[in-house]
Amino acid sequence: MKNRLMCHLIANYPDFNKSFEIAEALARGGADSIEVQFPFSDPSADGPYILKACDIALKNGFTVDKGFDLVRRIVNITKLDVFIMSYANIPYTRGLESFVKESASIGIRGLIIPDLTLNNDEGLIELGEKYTIPIIPVITLTTPQERIDAILSIQPEYVYAVLRKGITGESTEITNENITFLKNLSQEGVKVLGGFGINSREQVNSLAPYLFTSVAGTVFVKEIEKETGDMINRIEVLTASLVTDQSTTTSKGGDFSSSINICR
Amino acid sequence: MSTMVKTPNKEGYFGEYGGSFLPPDLQPVMDEITKTYNEIRNSPGFQEELTALYQDYVGRPSPIFYAKNLSKKMGGAQIYLKREDLNHTGAHKINHCLGEVLLAKKMGKKKVIAETGAGQHGVALATAAALLGLECDIYMGEVDIAKEHPNVIRMKILGAKVVPVKSGLKTLKEAVDEAFGAYVQDPVTQFYAIGSVVGPHPFPMMVRDFQTIVGIEAKEQFSKSPGGLPDNLVACVGGGSNALGLFTAFMDDESVKMYGAEPSGKSFKKGEHAATMTLGKPGIIHGFKCYLLQDDEGNPDPVYSVASGLDYPGVGPEHSYLKDIERVEYTTVNDKEAIDAFFELSREEGIIPALESAHAVAYALKLAAELPKDKTILMNLSGRGDKDIDFIAEKYGEEYGIL
Repeated sequence: MKNRLMCHLIANYPDFNKSFEIAEALARGGADSIEVQFPFSDPSADGPYILKACDIALKNGFTVDKGFDLVRRIVNITKLDVFIMSYANIPYTRGLESFVKESASIGIRGLIIPDLTLNNDEGLIELGEKYTIPIIPVITLTTPQERIDAILSIQPEYVYAVLRKGITGESTEITNENITFLKNLSQEGVKVLGGFGINSREQVNSLAPYLFTSVAGTVFVKEIEKETGDMINRIEVLTASLVTDQSTTTSKGGDFSSSINICR
Repeated sequence: MSTMVKTPNKEGYFGEYGGSFLPPDLQPVMDEITKTYNEIRNSPGFQEELTALYQDYVGRPSPIFYAKNLSKKMGGAQIYLKREDLNHTGAHKINHCLGEVLLAKKMGKKKVIAETGAGQHGVALATAAALLGLECDIYMGEVDIAKEHPNVIRMKILGAKVVPVKSGLKTLKEAVDEAFGAYVQDPVTQFYAIGSVVGPHPFPMMVRDFQTIVGIEAKEQFSKSPGGLPDNLVACVGGGSNALGLFTAFMDDESVKMYGAEPSGKSFKKGEHAATMTLGKPGIIHGFKCYLLQDDEGNPDPVYSVASGLDYPGVGPEHSYLKDIERVEYTTVNDKEAIDAFFELSREEGIIPALESAHAVAYALKLAAELPKDKTILMNLSGRGDKDIDFIAEKYGEEYGIL
């Protein structure tokens, strides 16, 4: 049985056609779903690699229309589950309702807008209900229990669990704290997407028992940046290496009494 | 109008502006700041400590000076200056920095971090951190570092670390981005002391509260003059801290007209100004909703002003609200007008203003000329111009007969 993996890609990075080819390579490599980020110039939770990639995507003429075109192609051709991720001002400027409606019409599986949160969502959650598209709340290790309870009380189909404190792209430590956090969440009958900093097969293996899907992002941006060989092929190989047979794991659900930093 | 204007709702909204649009990691930290601030804001201990520092350390109250020569020259309304430039560290920024660092200390934080544009907030924060024994990291765009050299040195002398920001236009917006990034890495031991009435709740409210001393004093000082109240208030607006500092105490005095001067830079072309409320539309940036200069896709526009402290694509949420309800009139002053006013105030009154404050001077002069002699204008002279003299000499030296 292979691990379930959601791969993150940035729309229009390095350019429109390449970002579509990357999506195809992710699909061939065995990804289950794709998170397409619509770039924003002043994000509040992205690390330097994703920030730089977003800048390039914007310089190369990203527009929300192009983003939707790309997502439409990915949905139609790869048949994978696709999620759209962006920051508040992108859908807000488009018009939240128009953004949600168009996303729903394309048939994506959900929207992740990390800085539109319960009680500060500008009506996003209600629009999600109106157009039957999951709005995916983000929960972190520092989210207070009462806040988690409030989020779960609106019965989201998915939650996005941030596995470390901080911005994307740095190392994720698979600590006891992370595991307990995920165990508690998965007991709530919600599909948990978990990520931020995942970059090795071992990490995916360790987390798989507690997640609906692992999410990997920065690792792909770093791979795209490399200038050697056939990039599209490298992406496919990398994806396949992350989506490996779970039986190879040695520490599945076992003893996490010590903090294991298994980053490269 | 009174309670609506003075207090955001409990989620931090001024009308539809403000709020808190943060990645979930930061929200609990922000909630803790709000909670602690609400607990101590009216506690006698905190207020006494802050008041004592305002008086003995900053040198408050700052005087109001009647600019007789300039008023005479303009031939219209009488111009009065609230001398925030005479504060310790040379600007109004020290008012909120002392408040923020005191709060950070009470919360057990080890380090304060912040962005700075002109370096005034950075210097004030480094000063407050030195006094109260906290570490201090200041993020500053490389363009501003080159332009505001004396302030950079000042911060370093005060023991702060100045972190150069090399991304984008290398000015204020990028400095905010980078300081934000550093804050997300460790929001537990660090305190992000935002440098204006911007950012997520509670900062727009809190920074304003710490600045209201300016207007409270001015109102008291002015009450001794005939009429008792100024007819007009003028302040420059970047994020808008000095403007709200002056305006807030007068908010309910309907006879007092208020003007905020935004920088229109070289022109109204995209990238050549920072006239946020004149040309922006509502958007969400750096964790709050406000008028924002942005493109059709929702990405903030590049901005520019000769004054580093004013070139920000957003503006305080309370200002956005005050514009919509038409309590304050927002107007623009371009580089040329600001530089003229810089020399005008220097040569007529012997006061060298900060380039930011020179925008307020320029508008006050314009307004004075249009009004009769029995009217008064009180403007906030938010900072002194020592930091700008090298830049002025290099860029405008020949034109104004210095070189």
